[in-house]
Amino acid sequence: MLRALLYLRLTSLKNQIISRAKRLRQLKYLLGALVGSAYVYFLFFRNFGGASGSRGAARTAATQTLAALPSSEALAQTLPLIAAVSALLLLGIVMLAWVIPSTTPGLRFTEAETAFLFPAPISRRTLIHCKLLSSQFSILFTSLFFTLISNRWTFLGGNALTHAFGWWFVLSTLNLHFTGAALTLSRLVESGVSPLRRRLTVLGGLAVVVGLTVAWVWRDLRAPDAEDFAGVTPFTAYLLGLLDHGVLGALLVPFKFVVGPFLAPDTRTFLFSLAPALLVMVAHYSWVLRMETSFEEASLAAAEKRSATLASVREGKSVFASAHTHARPGPFYLGSSGRPELAFLWKNLLSTATYFNLRVLATAAAIILVGSKWFLSGTTPDIRAARVVVGMISLTAGAYVLLLGPHLARQDLRGDMPHADILKTYPLRGWELLLGQILTPVAILTGLTWLCLLGAALTLQPTGRMALLLTPSGQWAIALGIAALTPFVCALQLLILNGATIIFPAWFHSLRAAGPGGGIELMGQRLIFVFGQFIVILTALLPASLTALALIFATQWLIGATAAIALATLVVLVVLAGEVWCALWWLGERFDRLDVSSELRP
Amino acid sequence: MIEVSGLTKRYGGFTAVRDLSLAVQPGEVLGLVGPNGAGKTSTLRCLAGIIPATAGNVRIAGRDISTDPVAAKRALAFFPDEPRLFDYLTIRQHLNFVARIYGVADHEAIAGPLLEELEIADKADQLPGELSRGMKQKLAIACGLLHRPSVMFFDEPLTGLDPLGIRRMKDSILKRAREGAAVILSSHLLHLLQEVCSHVLILKKGEKIAHGTLAEISAQFANGESGVSLEEIFIRATGGSEH
Repeated sequence: MLRALLYLRLTSLKNQIISRAKRLRQLKYLLGALVGSAYVYFLFFRNFGGASGSRGAARTAATQTLAALPSSEALAQTLPLIAAVSALLLLGIVMLAWVIPSTTPGLRFTEAETAFLFPAPISRRTLIHCKLLSSQFSILFTSLFFTLISNRWTFLGGNALTHAFGWWFVLSTLNLHFTGAALTLSRLVESGVSPLRRRLTVLGGLAVVVGLTVAWVWRDLRAPDAEDFAGVTPFTAYLLGLLDHGVLGALLVPFKFVVGPFLAPDTRTFLFSLAPALLVMVAHYSWVLRMETSFEEASLAAAEKRSATLASVREGKSVFASAHTHARPGPFYLGSSGRPELAFLWKNLLSTATYFNLRVLATAAAIILVGSKWFLSGTTPDIRAARVVVGMISLTAGAYVLLLGPHLARQDLRGDMPHADILKTYPLRGWELLLGQILTPVAILTGLTWLCLLGAALTLQPTGRMALLLTPSGQWAIALGIAALTPFVCALQLLILNGATIIFPAWFHSLRAAGPGGGIELMGQRLIFVFGQFIVILTALLPASLTALALIFATQWLIGATAAIALATLVVLVVLAGEVWCALWWLGERFDRLDVSSELRP
Repeated sequence: MIEVSGLTKRYGGFTAVRDLSLAVQPGEVLGLVGPNGAGKTSTLRCLAGIIPATAGNVRIAGRDISTDPVAAKRALAFFPDEPRLFDYLTIRQHLNFVARIYGVADHEAIAGPLLEELEIADKADQLPGELSRGMKQKLAIACGLLHRPSVMFFDEPLTGLDPLGIRRMKDSILKRAREGAAVILSSHLLHLLQEVCSHVLILKKGEKIAHGTLAEISAQFANGESGVSLEEIFIRATGGSEH
């Protein structure tokens, strides 16, 4: 039986490699593969091989410099602490499997596996072995990938081989633990133990451990003082004292065994660490095999759910989209007559989270206003410093929303592209449809950016020379100017992203069909898309920005800084509105001519 | 009502539909049949304005679908084989959305009886995820019928329906035809054609092999024999293979 499964896996892998190689004949995959490979090379492999040539010399010099620094030594001293913290992290991951497990406990099989393996004349134990063997394929791949990343952490010592084996031990043990936990949970469900009772038991156990640790620290250790924070060494020593002793220390021992091979600084230590790690693994394995429980029903439900989620992702929706959907009233009254674009805003708002509404926006703005007033009334240095921090955080958050938001807010044509054939039967021009589609993300992102801008404008006050240059009225003129331009900047970015799906539907289709992941060539395609978007938005914003700067420079002497900013905003607004209109019209025409059957449903 | 002349659809070097001409008058139901890959879905999509035709003209209710697509689309409804619905809109909200898109002023007055007729009125506040396959199909039909189209295209309309659903779907198509709609439907189910269609068009490899009333088609391929089944006629007409 296991031989048959091995055949299935190896043959599938071989065919997958062949089909991936074959599709490189298509330009979109070839370009993606080239860009993806270059990215992976520069990210992981550039410093992987031996030191040769000028780059090698530079690397050697850098390593020597690093070795000469005391901080490198200090980092090496922190290895025991790293081991303890890693073990704590593993403990946390393991606890999660018990506290918030999957809603459908059971072993994870694909729908095809459940269809072929469950009715087959094989024992439950063999099914578990099949599952474990299947997992090994992804674990081996993940171990290699993680090794590429961790190989850059030179302070850990060891080499690529020990790291690879180390990751394999960690991931395999975790996989065994999750399998054992899933089977145990299935048995608990069978025996009538409610999820609440199970969670309370686990959390109760956790509370006991934390309580005992606190009691031990109280009695035998001491609270950290200023000396413990004086440097890396005393802080490390304090933390190690906390994590290496008492109940927590004892609890972390098996987890330290698991991370031992990965953290071994040399071959000798690595070999010594193998036996304890293997011991933990074998203990898990025997636990899994001893769990005689029926997991099939839960596995079937889990397979169906995962399949539905994957289908949802391939339709361009979020991984979480298919989780729980509830009917709710429309965001506003939608009459039968009026601009059809509003129907798309109405529809797409229904597909977002309920808190994206005007009431929440107004409440958040009120909270920011009240909070800022309290901040502004404070005159102590602490409050002033906190005000600057809050202002900078608001500003950064606003920039993130403005730049990254359009990638995340996908309640537009990107989400509706699977319905393209239906959309095309609507009696609407392409530009009307496209405008309607982008209204929702524009509204959401504009609202969020405005909130961030409000927070920044209320808390950031220029000091020193900036205070001389920027009067309060000038500052507000800038804030209001950015607020006025925000919807247009969002619209432009969204048009670029939506336009990409219209102009390159085949690329969009391949990215969507692949779902999450999808190989180096699809990673390359995504990189090309992001780079393309960056170039296009820069090109679109450049004329407006240059015009604004020239206007402010030329007119501020005549009409004052505030009026110059207002004038520049107005001009930029006109430029951006023109660009948005041109993009809408052109992309609308492209959408009208889009041949959905040849591009989206090959 | 539906006038097609010289319709051709090519995908690169592959011709899916070649020089197809037909006309469907109000009250007529044309059945589009043919083996897999004959070009039925491509034809329907071209007629509905979903994909552009490579050559030829398509007029819907007197409007050219390529030069005046908005006016032409106001008169038509397209029903795909798989109901494609919006996950977050209830039945009622779907109708509300479609009413705004098509500008159906009195949509609530139309929607009520329509939902009653399709027997989904009691599910009006449920999301598609809570509906069975048949009910989703009914919702898609309700959305298509809301603006009272005079031209209808059905792509495999009976897919996934139970026997009662099939009966109701057939009745619904016939009712709309009796009310004056011009209907084209594609299907592999020959009994559907026999019961519903006034005319049949047989396609093979994108080309029209036969077009006429059922009696005319039967006479064309019966070779003088009597009592030849529609299935036998279809096999004779298409040569019994996809190629």
